[in-house]
Amino acid sequence: MDLTWSPEDLEFRDEVRAFLDENLTENLRRAGRLMTSVYADHEASMAWQAILHERGWAAPAWPVEHGGCDWTLTQHYIFSRESTLAGAPALSPMGIRMVAHAIIAFGTAEQKNYFLPRILTGEVFFCQGYSEPESGSDLASLSMAAVDDGDHLVCTGSKIWTTHAMEANWIFALVRTTRSDKKQHGITFVLIDMTSPGIEIRPLVMTSGEEIQTQIFFDGVRVPKSNVIGRIDDGWTVAKYLLEFERGGGASAPGLQVMAESIARNAGDLLDDPAFAAKLADVRIRTDVLEILEHRMLSTVAAGGNPGAASSMLKILSTELSQAITELAMEAAGPHGRVYQPHAARPGGPVADYLPPPDGYVSGEPWQAMAPLRYFNDRAGSIYAGSNEIQRNILAKATLGL
Amino acid sequence: MDFNLSTEQELLRDGLGKFLATRYDLEKSRTAAKTGAGWQPEVWRAFADELGILGAALPESAGGMGGGPVEIMVIAEELGRALVIEPFVDTVVVAGGLLDRAGNPAAEAVLEQIAAGSSIVAVSPDPLCTNAVRDGEHWVLTGSPAVVMNAPIATHLLIAAHTGDGVGLFLTEAGTPMHGYRTVDDRRAADLAFDGLRLPADALISADAAASLEQARDEGAAAVCAEAVGAMRRVLADTVAYCKQRQQFGQPIGGFQVLQHRMVDMYMELEQSVSAVYLAVLNLDAGRRDRARAVSAAKATIGRAARFIGQNAVQLHGGMGMTEELAVGHYFKRLTAVQYEYGSTDQHRTRYAQLSRG
Repeated sequence: MDLTWSPEDLEFRDEVRAFLDENLTENLRRAGRLMTSVYADHEASMAWQAILHERGWAAPAWPVEHGGCDWTLTQHYIFSRESTLAGAPALSPMGIRMVAHAIIAFGTAEQKNYFLPRILTGEVFFCQGYSEPESGSDLASLSMAAVDDGDHLVCTGSKIWTTHAMEANWIFALVRTTRSDKKQHGITFVLIDMTSPGIEIRPLVMTSGEEIQTQIFFDGVRVPKSNVIGRIDDGWTVAKYLLEFERGGGASAPGLQVMAESIARNAGDLLDDPAFAAKLADVRIRTDVLEILEHRMLSTVAAGGNPGAASSMLKILSTELSQAITELAMEAAGPHGRVYQPHAARPGGPVADYLPPPDGYVSGEPWQAMAPLRYFNDRAGSIYAGSNEIQRNILAKATLGL
Repeated sequence: MDFNLSTEQELLRDGLGKFLATRYDLEKSRTAAKTGAGWQPEVWRAFADELGILGAALPESAGGMGGGPVEIMVIAEELGRALVIEPFVDTVVVAGGLLDRAGNPAAEAVLEQIAAGSSIVAVSPDPLCTNAVRDGEHWVLTGSPAVVMNAPIATHLLIAAHTGDGVGLFLTEAGTPMHGYRTVDDRRAADLAFDGLRLPADALISADAAASLEQARDEGAAAVCAEAVGAMRRVLADTVAYCKQRQQFGQPIGGFQVLQHRMVDMYMELEQSVSAVYLAVLNLDAGRRDRARAVSAAKATIGRAARFIGQNAVQLHGGMGMTEELAVGHYFKRLTAVQYEYGSTDQHRTRYAQLSRG
């Protein structure tokens, strides 16, 4: 047993560091630093993706034949960790980290040839259409209708909680092709061109004021059957496969470490307050421990094991820890944390009904201005990708046999 | 980055686990604690002679096998799972470490006896409790250290004391005056009274033991964390099994979501504790600061987990969890005591906070 990286891993880490040093411009780092949620400012994120793509590192988890990297799991972790520590803006997960894996696993040769290279360049930018107003945690109850019309499916219904729908030119969606007693049966996984006639987007103003989430209405939208991934009526298989990627652990501890360290750096005299110091120590300890837990999972997977329900545990722990940290940042921000000033941040989407001051004045420091936005947005962590209550159901069944 | 035990370490774990499952009886050990000698010397002898665990992590020069923190972790976890009351951590890990680092012939001799199973060494680790004054060829010790674990069953005492010159470590045979008692978790301890205790000059085995005592405390804390993980594994398994068979409202209570989520939270506390133990154990040989920070992170984590898992195990067992009829009650008492051994949860969190401030 030991906690050290191998010489090869350290060499790889240095290579990644050198690349990040050279390519992360101040503007990109700033976009990373000023993120108010898991999403970075869209333009910065796409600019960073282009730089990564040039180096061949935009989609390292893909198979090499499609433009991925021949890395070990540890190398993936190191890359993710170093990117976070260096303050790189996050890439949108929808295309590269999600739908691409469905296309790779279930897609036809034509689908792969068309979409994968375009996802890499950013020419195709995906958003996700899973949840519906009446289907949240009970996702399989979804009802957006897709009626068979020869070569096409005709889609009518609504999707909600779609991030970046305004920026996206494609959406991957789960639609209802057949109604049957078993609700998981009859769902189909389709790719829909967002420029198709009959699509309307309504932005949702979140508590942070950001309009990053949307509701989408589909009214008789014609989708060629050649855009179905996998088999018609068998989309649940594809969706379940993707959920594993969405929950797939990765490296959350480094990001949480950065957040906690930034509180420690900015908190000043508050560190002398024993009550505050104890809370800060608590979240840092939990982060140290989470990092080991992530390494343990990595080492299981690297040895050919299945992370199984452990990814549910990591999802719960990392999101609840993140919420504890954003809550603490709110406390550290003091009175400035009550000021609404999103111009001091770089939100992942537009901001509704807000006029920044002409002189760009910020009350307090940027981190104080960001604290409430992050606090509000971070409530999403325990809701998205299967709420933490759903994750606990999974663990009770899969791990404890209850 | 490697979280696998070596083949030898797995054999150590499996051999000890099998021994304890067949030869260590919970009820018998409680009887020994309550109405007997306070421990089971024949078990200790088997630890030395049959299993070799007492010397597993002691140096070969003392008759040990030269193992390290991972061997101690493996042993302590198994002992915790079986709720062993005999003082492995206190005697082998803590006293053993202090004696080894003292590098003195008298200390070396006692270390050999520990490995052989013929000595139990109790430690009074707080120099604030005892003063030592030189008087010719003697040291005169005055003080009243309280709750010194294992003192009533020990063959030797290690006493930390202020000498005016620093922190000294004194080694003496047992037999000093004391008020002995049983602790809530069925171990033996005593309040000692040194009222001008005269020890020969060579009883001072280390004249500057502050750093060694801090290291011993960290090593003891890490080992107790591993012990607690063993106990928590058992308690969680018992609780899940109980909720599967206990019927109310016409169904097993484990079918109720509110209880399922509670047990999932217990499970996640346990998994965090396992990780915290790795963090501590794999940093024990690091520099002082890294070691201390990792150990405090672990002890604070285990303190929180032991409280949560212990209390909820009782809650989910209902009234039966409060009795001594089921194992869970006994484990609950140990998991309570663990929170205060080798530094409390709060003390470790505070130390972690201080060490994190550059």
